[in-house]
Amino acid sequence: MELTFLAESVISGVLLGGIYALLSVGFGLTWGTMQVLNISHAVFAVLGAYVAYWCFVKGGVDPLLSVPFLAFLLFLLGGAVYRVVIRPVTKARDTVMGSMVVSFGLAIVVENIMSGLWHPDPRILKPSYTDTSLFIGEMVIGKGPLIGFAMAIVAIALLYAFLHHTFTGKAVQATWQNPTGAVLVGINRDRVSLITFGLSIASAGVAGVAMALIYSFYPSVHNDWTLYVFLLTIVGGVGSIIGTALTGLLIGLIMGVCAAFLPFIWVNILLFALLLVILLFKPEGIFGL
Amino acid sequence: MKKFFVWAVLVLFLFVSGPALAQTGKPSGEPIKIGGSLGLTGVFAEQSKWIKGGYDAWVEEINQKGGLLGRPVKLIMYEDEGNTDKAVTFFERAITVDKVDLVFGGYPGTINVAIMPLCEKYGMVYISMGGHMKSFQQGYTYSFGSPPLMADWADIAMLGIVEDLIPKKDWPKSMALLTMNNVIGESTRRGLHGVAQKLGIKIVVDELYNLPLSDATPLVSKARAQRADIMCCLSSFDDDVMLTRAAKGMNYNPKLAFHSIAPAQPAWMKELGEDGNNAITFHWWNARLKYPGNDAINQAAKRMYNLPAAPTYFGFGYCWLKTLEVAVKGTGSLDNKKIRDYLRSRSFDFPYGMGVKFDEKGLPPPYAIVTQTTNGHNEILWPKDQATAKLAYPKPKWSTK
Repeated sequence: MELTFLAESVISGVLLGGIYALLSVGFGLTWGTMQVLNISHAVFAVLGAYVAYWCFVKGGVDPLLSVPFLAFLLFLLGGAVYRVVIRPVTKARDTVMGSMVVSFGLAIVVENIMSGLWHPDPRILKPSYTDTSLFIGEMVIGKGPLIGFAMAIVAIALLYAFLHHTFTGKAVQATWQNPTGAVLVGINRDRVSLITFGLSIASAGVAGVAMALIYSFYPSVHNDWTLYVFLLTIVGGVGSIIGTALTGLLIGLIMGVCAAFLPFIWVNILLFALLLVILLFKPEGIFGL
Repeated sequence: MKKFFVWAVLVLFLFVSGPALAQTGKPSGEPIKIGGSLGLTGVFAEQSKWIKGGYDAWVEEINQKGGLLGRPVKLIMYEDEGNTDKAVTFFERAITVDKVDLVFGGYPGTINVAIMPLCEKYGMVYISMGGHMKSFQQGYTYSFGSPPLMADWADIAMLGIVEDLIPKKDWPKSMALLTMNNVIGESTRRGLHGVAQKLGIKIVVDELYNLPLSDATPLVSKARAQRADIMCCLSSFDDDVMLTRAAKGMNYNPKLAFHSIAPAQPAWMKELGEDGNNAITFHWWNARLKYPGNDAINQAAKRMYNLPAAPTYFGFGYCWLKTLEVAVKGTGSLDNKKIRDYLRSRSFDFPYGMGVKFDEKGLPPPYAIVTQTTNGHNEILWPKDQATAKLAYPKPKWSTK
């Protein structure tokens, strides 16, 4: 095994891990704050990828430029979904179970709408830079994963800053840590939940664009992406942004090393075997409280 | 006496030209229904779209020529999204609910594997690409590959290229197999394992991946790290495009880029531009084959799509229905058992080969046609007697433009 190839695989894995982290933070946020287990989270990432794809194909808008627009669009969509679909189940006796069932249905509906609108064909987002690589000596790093990773880091940093340095963000955290206490000090829980859900869906949309810079996508691909979302959230610990980000990098590192040493088709098997082991010995996750 | 001769000549004329006149007149009566499904969206949409084009061309042509057995022909086509379960449902529906007279071939092989036993059950002649050799070894009597897409015959193509087109001192020494994880990929892979052993080519990467492929980089990265002389993309369309783009992105320059099916399609050059050139693929029909019947196929492609030559899958679709036409006309009947027996008992001249005789499996004798994309066209490299271009070996490096 050449050292260059190993380094290439590890770097590529870590870059992917960062993007998976962005895909997962919003999921952990709604789970931690609202007790809403949103199975449809990744389907909105796919929707984000489609919006960026069509802006690029039809309007010639570079995916990086369309990101702020689609983040805003998906924030609004997230708010609407919260009002119409999620809010009623937050009043259920078992919010986790209720939200899981309703969001599973929502995922199917959105997937089928996307299939109807854009067909199930795989799409590839290909602005000029996704076909090129950075050459460091013999080592090759794709520019697509590099740019996707940079997007993920910026988005996670913005989300972190919002939660820790704004009044609304602190209200979200307070609701998450002590829901009853937060209501007693005058925090409007419903409004906080709406913002949280909107942010979660917006972050999924941005992650979808980052994913589309590397992967092909199609309406049902959210099923595969959801597996990674679960993996990162559970291993990282529900609701921990830093935990999810670090887990993303860790999982990426493992994927990179595995891809170098094992047959390609075995990588996912090994990853999810790892998830089982972690759940057996540390069910609260590596970074969970 | 003179009157007798006049009458005799008139009767003889009517007797000889009657069927011909009937064939060129307007078809009449209840349409003959030919049914089935194709995946016009989904992973296999690109190939299916052209197969449909071939079917449409044949239907247009037969109806213009007076129909089949004097009756108009109508296709009943469902959209299965390349999904096997849906295809089985639609074929069964076409046979049992729509009561079609005949069925057309589905696509791809994974679907055919499921449709072949279904057609056997209902006694419907099924002319398609088939699935792979195993699907033709199940004892089905109603299935024919005319022409087939026989992944298992990839070894014939690889042997042809290396033994006949490359001087022995320059033979490639290593091979990377990047294979889609399905029966077709697996069959191709198996064939190439055998040929690699025979030619003394070392397999340095042997990776399977699930469809649709999400990211091609790790696969190509392995082939590049091992400096494989041959990159074999045993793929469908989208994944092959991704693998080729990744190879260019990583500046991996194998001596030979050997692909399953993708470069035979017009979209290949559209997706890849100049980078689509010099891709080697193998097939069982090509627009440039010098056999009778291909002119009509190329003219149809020109008329319908303004293309200089018919795309491979267009030709496949046309040939499958042409085979059905030959057998229906030969028997003068829509009885599927008679059609089956007719096909099994004679030899035929088809646009993909002369004197074709189907064996007990419903297959023509093993063969392959190797092509290379040259200036955006699929030129034949092998067999030598059909060649229209010379092999570019080693493959030119990626353009940096």
